[in-house]
Amino acid sequence: MTDKARFERLTLPHMDAAYNLASHLLQTRADAEDAVQDAFVRAYRAFHQFEGADIRPWLLTIVRNVCFRRLQERRRADNVVSLDEVSSRSTGAAFEADMASADRSPEQTAIASSDQALLAHAMAELPPVFREVIVLREIEDLSYREIAGVIGTPVGTVMSRLARARTELKAILNRMTNQDDRNAM
Amino acid sequence: MQCDRAHELLGAYRDGELAPEERRAVAGHIGTCRTCSTAVADDERIGRLVKKFGRIAPPPALEPRLRAALDRAEETSLPGKPVETPHLGMDAPKARALAKRVAALAAACLVAVMATWWVMDTTRHAEQIEHDILSAHIRSLLQDSPTQVASSDQHVVRPWFAGRADFAPAVKDLTAEGFALLGGRLDYVADRRVAVVVYKRRLHLINVFMWPSSVAATESLAPATSRNGYNLLIWSRNGVSYCAISDLNAAEMRELQHLL
Repeated sequence: MTDKARFERLTLPHMDAAYNLASHLLQTRADAEDAVQDAFVRAYRAFHQFEGADIRPWLLTIVRNVCFRRLQERRRADNVVSLDEVSSRSTGAAFEADMASADRSPEQTAIASSDQALLAHAMAELPPVFREVIVLREIEDLSYREIAGVIGTPVGTVMSRLARARTELKAILNRMTNQDDRNAM
Repeated sequence: MQCDRAHELLGAYRDGELAPEERRAVAGHIGTCRTCSTAVADDERIGRLVKKFGRIAPPPALEPRLRAALDRAEETSLPGKPVETPHLGMDAPKARALAKRVAALAAACLVAVMATWWVMDTTRHAEQIEHDILSAHIRSLLQDSPTQVASSDQHVVRPWFAGRADFAPAVKDLTAEGFALLGGRLDYVADRRVAVVVYKRRLHLINVFMWPSSVAATESLAPATSRNGYNLLIWSRNGVSYCAISDLNAAEMRELQHLL
């Protein structure tokens, strides 16, 4: 088997996890797709350096680094783009509409929408460093040690950051549900 | 287990990341504490929400796109060619940013070192001046006369310096103000020849050292310092540095300074 075939066999099953992390961090479909492609090509070029038993954390580390670099570039670019663009991007509203329309029938979208939209909004409000630990822990089920490897911090930091991220997410969700209740009345 | 300690560990408890004894302690606490058991239930609920709705699925077009990108990558990476990316996700812009940061740090270090050197050098220089002036003052007291030209007439003392010092030092007859002019001499301080004008107040001898200075400031004042029981007052005015030294008290020295 060629290196490339072996690489694809190992990594493509984790494309979903890679795209999920990238989407949460970058908040737009196009950027997430670009970042995943960038990360896969980088991972392929660095494949000889991979020595672990589990390729998923290794791959997610690369995805994560690519995404944070893009966020950094975006911040730099934001200094020169118009305010409208920045605000629509930062609310996450554009992103949510973007994501909801992706490959779903209108009925499915309607059923899932309330909780899903709520969560998408809440996640978008979290700072990226909180978002990533929530995604890696709650969705991807990574251990603290694996998360520490992906985000490049000690395990103790993972524990405290995750605790803060959860508290923050809870507060945002509570605030949003209260708002919804008031709007309903 | 204390409630606040347990509260910190609730997340790790739920994630199964605690050591067995800690896990037992937290579990025991949750059984008795409403606040903590509610918090765990909340986290549980939000965790389920995130797990259920949080995943964002890739579009079907992503996989073919990745395969195509990898095909292109395979073609461009020739066998035997050293592989780039020495560190995961570290590329040229990041390396440049790092280099920039390192350069900035190095520059900051250099500035700090130079500033320290400058301060130390300046301090050392000031130290030497004070030391030399103290020695010269004591030497003048040991000798029969502290002056080479003894006169209470400024019109005698001032011309005496002409041709001896490379500037015209200020010489004032301050007898009326209580500072009797005794005369002048030359001395050697901090590797240079300096003019000294000697005054007397009551029984106290005051040596006023003067030399042209590079200090541009018209008036700069250092606080009075004291060495071996002698008060030193250093100032500069109109391109001349002054240092008055005496066993006279600092307040009266200041008075002289203002008169000169």
